[in-house]
Amino acid sequence: MKTSADQPETATAAIEFARVSHTYNGSGFPTIRDISLRVEPGERLGILGPNGAGKTTLVRVALGLLVPSSGSVTVFGRAPAEARAARWIGYVPQRSVAELAFPLSVQQVVAMPTGVGMKPWKRPGVRAQEAVSRALALTGCGGFADLPIGRVSGGQLQRAMIARALAAEPRLLVLDEPTIGIDATGQQQFAKMLSLVQEELGVTVVIVTHDLRTIAAGCDRVACLHGSLHAHVSPEGLTPAVLAEVFRHEVEGIFGSVHIDAHTAAECDDPTHDHGHAPTDGCGGEGGIRADD
Amino acid sequence: MRTIDYLFGSPEMASLFWPAVVVGVLVALLCAVLSPLVVLKRMSFIGQGVSHAAFGGVGLAMALGLGAGSAGDWQVVAVVGLSCVAAALGIAVLNDRQGVNADTAIGIVLVTAMAAGFLLIEHAAGVMRARGETPGFGIESVLFGSMLGVRWGDVALAAAVVVGELGVLWWWRRRLVFWAFDEVGAASGGIGTAGVRTMLLVLLALAVVVTMRLAGVVLVTAFLVLPGATALRCSTKLWRVVGLSAVQGVVGVVLGLVVSFELDWQPGPAIVLSQVGIYAGVCAAGAVKRRGAVE
Repeated sequence: MKTSADQPETATAAIEFARVSHTYNGSGFPTIRDISLRVEPGERLGILGPNGAGKTTLVRVALGLLVPSSGSVTVFGRAPAEARAARWIGYVPQRSVAELAFPLSVQQVVAMPTGVGMKPWKRPGVRAQEAVSRALALTGCGGFADLPIGRVSGGQLQRAMIARALAAEPRLLVLDEPTIGIDATGQQQFAKMLSLVQEELGVTVVIVTHDLRTIAAGCDRVACLHGSLHAHVSPEGLTPAVLAEVFRHEVEGIFGSVHIDAHTAAECDDPTHDHGHAPTDGCGGEGGIRADD
Repeated sequence: MRTIDYLFGSPEMASLFWPAVVVGVLVALLCAVLSPLVVLKRMSFIGQGVSHAAFGGVGLAMALGLGAGSAGDWQVVAVVGLSCVAAALGIAVLNDRQGVNADTAIGIVLVTAMAAGFLLIEHAAGVMRARGETPGFGIESVLFGSMLGVRWGDVALAAAVVVGELGVLWWWRRRLVFWAFDEVGAASGGIGTAGVRTMLLVLLALAVVVTMRLAGVVLVTAFLVLPGATALRCSTKLWRVVGLSAVQGVVGVVLGLVVSFELDWQPGPAIVLSQVGIYAGVCAAGAVKRRGAVE
């Protein structure tokens, strides 16, 4: 997998936020403040934050669905709306957004993006059909592709939604709370599936979540968000001090089955270590955050 | 049978009733194709708001003295159509830009149209009576529909709207289905979701305009809800659902008109009760089938 270290400094960023702030109409304060963040092509970045931290706002800005109040965003060097129109962005929303009563099979849902922009009298071509088949296979949806979308399990639905995003052959895949309601085993399977997808397609992945285990399972780097960017580190650099700052009063509730190595925690409590806004390589060390096997 | 007498007895009778039959089948087909989307997107209450806007439109047309009191007149149809489209767009604007809850926005539009429509119709009828003229139709026929008022001009209008709308639906089918299934996903996939929704609202408004003459503004929602609700109980495949919905809509209208002829009922209530009967029959058949499967 490509990581930031593999990319030349001059390479076009998959996403580049430059001092981005956004304030909703009628709100007296910005939901996100002064965010500067660069996501490298081929990287898997986790954006971690509690509810109300501005994660969805950040995603909507990256998708071009919201215009930032200040600052600028580019996706592979283009304005987000242009990138979206070019179908460079595959977005997987939280599952509650879709109308699951729709009489559609999993395969029909996955094939949806291939028909957009096509002349009404034309049928999807061979390349589009191959993209759908590949997306179904990579995400492990082949076994239930003919089932109605409303009758698959939560984990299967999540995979189908990712397959749908991949069927459009995007360069960037944005996943909003992808493992909500999925158990620890399912999360490990999910991380393996993402690794396979990135290996095969070279797609850049951004995962937005409040679940630490999702971040721990395979992200190259993690950006901690609570209005502003509190830290930008490797998953191993997520120390109790960093998490306490991000989650404030929610620290106890978020640990779940994640272990934090006391040695790494002590090492990273050093205030000079990885608490800035600029990208770093993380705290390093052998401990930090890891998901239970 | 009165049905045979009315439709085939004499040329005079046939010219009186055939337009209603043809319009009924055409609008049933159109509404039934829209119906699964309306049901799945939970837009039935929007249909109700838009159809009641037609009542206000009729009142406005009468108050303006258009069509000499006849809703079949093109001027009246234009005013009613514009009222429905304005109501649909008003609901969308209130909901999207003013942050008003959809139910509240629809409720505001619905009661405003009904109150204004009632006062305007009463006012226009009073003016006509003072001049010694008889109003072309009463409030009851606007609310619950009328068969005798449907003319060949209405057939031409209904045919044009149905062909046009079915063409637009076919052209936009992939975007519509994507949007209806997942608005956020569709937006991120490069679909202009506001445009798709506005288009659907306008299509609904025009469908209401051509349906209300027969069914009345109160009952037109049944045309947009019952066929889709019935078909969704029968299949889990989208295009089969659309086909079954069309069949249910057309069968419901034909059955309802026959009942209306035979029992001398208003066509709107007869058609709606026929459609409800089919829906209830399908529900009952499904329950029997499930019980059989369990045993």
